[in-house]
Amino acid sequence: MHELGLTRNIVAIVGEHAGSRRVRRVCLAVGPLACVEREALSFCFDIVAEGTALEGAALEFLDAEGDVFMIKNFEVEEAA
Amino acid sequence: MCGTCGCSDPANAVTLTDLDKGEEALLRQGAAVEALPHHHHHDHDHDHDHHHHDHGHHDHVHGPHGEVIALEQAVLAKNDRIADRNRGWFEGRGVLALNLVSSPGAGKTTLLERTIEALQDRVEIAVIEGDQMTVNDAERIRSAGARAVQINTGAGCHLEADMVAEAVKTLDPQAGSLLMIENVGNLVCPAMFDLGERMKIAVISTTEGEDKPLKYPHMFRAAEVVVINKIDLAPHVDFDQALCTANIKSVNPDARLFTLSARTGAGMEAWLAFLEDERGAAFGLAGE
Repeated sequence: MHELGLTRNIVAIVGEHAGSRRVRRVCLAVGPLACVEREALSFCFDIVAEGTALEGAALEFLDAEGDVFMIKNFEVEEAA
Repeated sequence: MCGTCGCSDPANAVTLTDLDKGEEALLRQGAAVEALPHHHHHDHDHDHDHHHHDHGHHDHVHGPHGEVIALEQAVLAKNDRIADRNRGWFEGRGVLALNLVSSPGAGKTTLLERTIEALQDRVEIAVIEGDQMTVNDAERIRSAGARAVQINTGAGCHLEADMVAEAVKTLDPQAGSLLMIENVGNLVCPAMFDLGERMKIAVISTTEGEDKPLKYPHMFRAAEVVVINKIDLAPHVDFDQALCTANIKSVNPDARLFTLSARTGAGMEAWLAFLEDERGAAFGLAGE
């Protein structure tokens, strides 16, 4: 229901943890009662990620239980 | 557009109005509760040395593209953390905080007015009013005899925990009091945002149709109590109470139901007794 705002949270949280490294992949865990539309998140993700460390990153989903809605992990480029 | 995505609209100010003092404070200007950095289309010529994070605590695994970093962080963690702090404050002080949710026009404010009039000799009641615009509801509450602050969310469609934390500083509800948080009229978004309340109370009115609980199940599932309001109008709008009750129970079998008319007063006794019981429990808990 808040996919654009939620996507901004996701991009901000991951971006903060990634520092200056480029993010390749973000994995979210979403439960059936989380009130979150995966397609809407994916739609927003590319737009919100533009111009950030997450630009071009893939968004993946894991099935979770209940109302879980969390960033499970993310993958960054190896430091050169 | 909601509070968490208000950053696209710089005019989206969230304000808190204290009617007693006639003061309006700015809680937020465009920014979200997380005070997120705004990365939209700005070039990254600044360095990130303001992020003094130690990344050494992450579990590192190597994936096909590089290093996989486990995060396990809830997306709404910030709001939930503030909500937990609010809840601890309410419990410690013995304040019963209730989060009233409904569609616009279900009668939340009228129910509060009648509740205040009935209980004000025995119970201190303070009200946080949430609406996109106007201080109309806070003025109605004040006229009914309770202290109230108005939060205007601007473009936002729900209250968030930090807004309640600010409002509570202004209201300073006393031990043993009842804090009613009237959320923005909306059956969708407020279900997702914990404010630190003891419970959510959903209000549905007979004019809305019996199938609202099926159409908006998340809200009715999140509520511990459902009030069916405007029961005086039931015969005029062909309201099927048994069907409505069955629909509520189908999405939330544990929901406690009250059927009443805030306008005529029918059924108000059970609702008021429930509030007194819950308030006693919240106050007693703090005294132990």
